[in-house]
Amino acid sequence: MEIAIVGSPEFTLGFQLAGIMRLHNPENDEEMSQALRLMLDEEEVGIIVVDAADLTRMPDKLRQRMSDSISPTVLGIGTEEDNTLRESIKSALGVDLWK
Amino acid sequence: MALDIKPTRSELINLKRRIKQTQNGYNLLKMKRDGLFHAFRTLLSEMIEAREGLVGTYREAVQSISLASAIEGGLAVKSAAIAISRHPEVTVTPRNIMGVVVPSVVGTNLTTSIDERGTGLIGGSAYIDEASDSYSTLIEKIVKAAEMEATLKRLLVEIEATKRRVNALEYVVIPQMEEARNFIQLRLEEMEREETFRLKRFKNK
Repeated sequence: MEIAIVGSPEFTLGFQLAGIMRLHNPENDEEMSQALRLMLDEEEVGIIVVDAADLTRMPDKLRQRMSDSISPTVLGIGTEEDNTLRESIKSALGVDLWK
Repeated sequence: MALDIKPTRSELINLKRRIKQTQNGYNLLKMKRDGLFHAFRTLLSEMIEAREGLVGTYREAVQSISLASAIEGGLAVKSAAIAISRHPEVTVTPRNIMGVVVPSVVGTNLTTSIDERGTGLIGGSAYIDEASDSYSTLIEKIVKAAEMEATLKRLLVEIEATKRRVNALEYVVIPQMEEARNFIQLRLEEMEREETFRLKRFKNK
């Protein structure tokens, strides 16, 4: 399975340097959500890495879908922590265990 | 609640047996929920550490690529990125945690040595190599974090489902069955009293 990177060219360049081939550079949020939707249905993609800042701008429904998806697993990384998993834990268990 | 049951002795025996079975199931489910929660808590503390490490590694990687781009130029970094011959891949295999199938993610070709970078030993740059190494480390951590995140999500879904089942048994199913049992017991006692009264009346006549 492949690792896919979605984000700006600056975000994906480093991953390309580490040998990752599956790079997507959408020009706007709509293109990005479209690319993510398509990738979520692909069986060949194991992990999708997205810039955490871009992830916050995605529609709620898509964010929920990404948060629930196991294969591929969507991971938001950035200089700030991605809180989607924390939020799902909070809504499922009723308490914030991320401490 | 309207009880649509026959107040007979056989029904009472059946009901008592079903209550016992349901209570056994309820205890087992409660144990499963606690076990899953324990596994979840253990993994969650690992995940929190991994996440913190991921943020730190990402910051370092961004710094190193910015430095490489500033010194060697964006074009040189892009050329080096295109020349890479080995590509990281992941294999996902299923694993079992207390009956919950979770993915086990194993990465291959996550790190590339200098000769696999395609730029040659002389043509390469130390800054670009450093950036490449930083991103390789980042990918290793991403693979690990992805496995943990997927496992946590699966465990979370299972905990939620088990919690619902336990609550349904505790607050709906078992109380309803107990209510039905009490109803049959009361009805049978009443029928017994009626019978005794009838016999007494018959005797007096």
